[in-house]
Amino acid sequence: MRTHSQIAGDGGSGVAEQLADLEARIARRLTGVRFLVAIGSGKGGVGKSTLTRQLAAVLAARGRRVGILDADLNGPSQALLGGVRGRPPMPGEEGLLVPRSAEGVQILSAGSVLGDGAVLSWPGAEAGQSHVWRATREFASLAELLAAVHWGALDLLLVDLPPGPERTAQFVEFLGPRTAVLLVSIPSALARGVVARSIDGLRALPNRVLGYVENMSGYACSGCGTIRPLFPEEAEAEGLGIDCLGRVPFDPELARLCDRGVALGELSDPGAPERPVLTALGAVATELLTRLEEAR
Amino acid sequence: MKFLCVPCDAPMRLRATEESEPGSLSVVYSCPQCGYEMAMLTNAQETQMVRSLGVRIGPAAAAAIAAPGEPAAAANCPFSGMLPAAEAAPDGLSWTPAALARLEAIPEMVRPMARAGIEMVAKESGQRVIDETVLAAARTRFGM
Repeated sequence: MRTHSQIAGDGGSGVAEQLADLEARIARRLTGVRFLVAIGSGKGGVGKSTLTRQLAAVLAARGRRVGILDADLNGPSQALLGGVRGRPPMPGEEGLLVPRSAEGVQILSAGSVLGDGAVLSWPGAEAGQSHVWRATREFASLAELLAAVHWGALDLLLVDLPPGPERTAQFVEFLGPRTAVLLVSIPSALARGVVARSIDGLRALPNRVLGYVENMSGYACSGCGTIRPLFPEEAEAEGLGIDCLGRVPFDPELARLCDRGVALGELSDPGAPERPVLTALGAVATELLTRLEEAR
Repeated sequence: MKFLCVPCDAPMRLRATEESEPGSLSVVYSCPQCGYEMAMLTNAQETQMVRSLGVRIGPAAAAAIAAPGEPAAAANCPFSGMLPAAEAAPDGLSWTPAALARLEAIPEMVRPMARAGIEMVAKESGQRVIDETVLAAARTRFGM
């Protein structure tokens, strides 16, 4: 009796061909994207989504064509942060078109199509089995979206990853070897420990880890204008073994703007000194671009 | 998955698929040499496994018989067929085949909201037929 490998084809189902076609369509959709950057952490609550959104705005203000892919289908935040809630993607002549923020950043986020407080469900074949299929269905949905979106020419596509050290590596692997990785941490031993796990998970992949950004690195006091400690121990993120691209202080004003879907640059007052957080984001953007160009 | 006719040692051919009952497929294979036929019946987990990959199962001809703009379910794709049928357009709105084809081409995940947004724009502008012009207006409305 013949064996599986001795029979050509896949039995007529076309599954292998369909999956190969899907990969090819994703690759075609991303050909116009110069730099693909996954922004993750592993740790939740470190501000990676906010940083992604504000970094995109800073880059757009410099004339870069920027897109954001909110890869967190279950906990999307970019629609709110970018002010595109209630503005669903639309069918265009060349593919799916996504809404833009006020600065022109293209944003693909499940938050654009989910109602307030609603969550995506991944129903399983039988009751109580949704957990079995969740990861497969999640990545299949993400792949379907990536294969459909017409981004056009982009200088950068920033991918906002969901939390979870192992998932950070899984998403980067899914996005492919050309994806560069930027990690976000905060000055706490707990966060650094989780980020270190993410770095460990990424070691097995060929992707370039650009470095990390230390977010919430003190807070900018509006009274005296100085950066003051936010965490009890403002420990350096030593031991991560990757470069620090910059330190971004916490700015209470940022939280207010985030809820309104406004970029920090909107606060810029020509007659006033630039806010420290905006200065820091600008420095991170410069460092990010420098490292991406170096890698080419 | 491949099937081999044991008496002939010939690879069997996928002849037909159908959703025999909710969550289960009947996949029929036939031997091109002796004509022997067999059916593989999938359980709910096996069906879900393939459906989760976002692919279709069935002879290529099944997908080809769907007219342009016709929902995939009409092509008897077993997996697409499990999806709930698209709701009729409300308030007497209708879609041209070309506009509907464009809507059906976008991922299912974003389709309901896109559809609702387009129909809202149509209603606001007093259009009863959703065509390419309405789609363009919706894109403008949503900042694209």
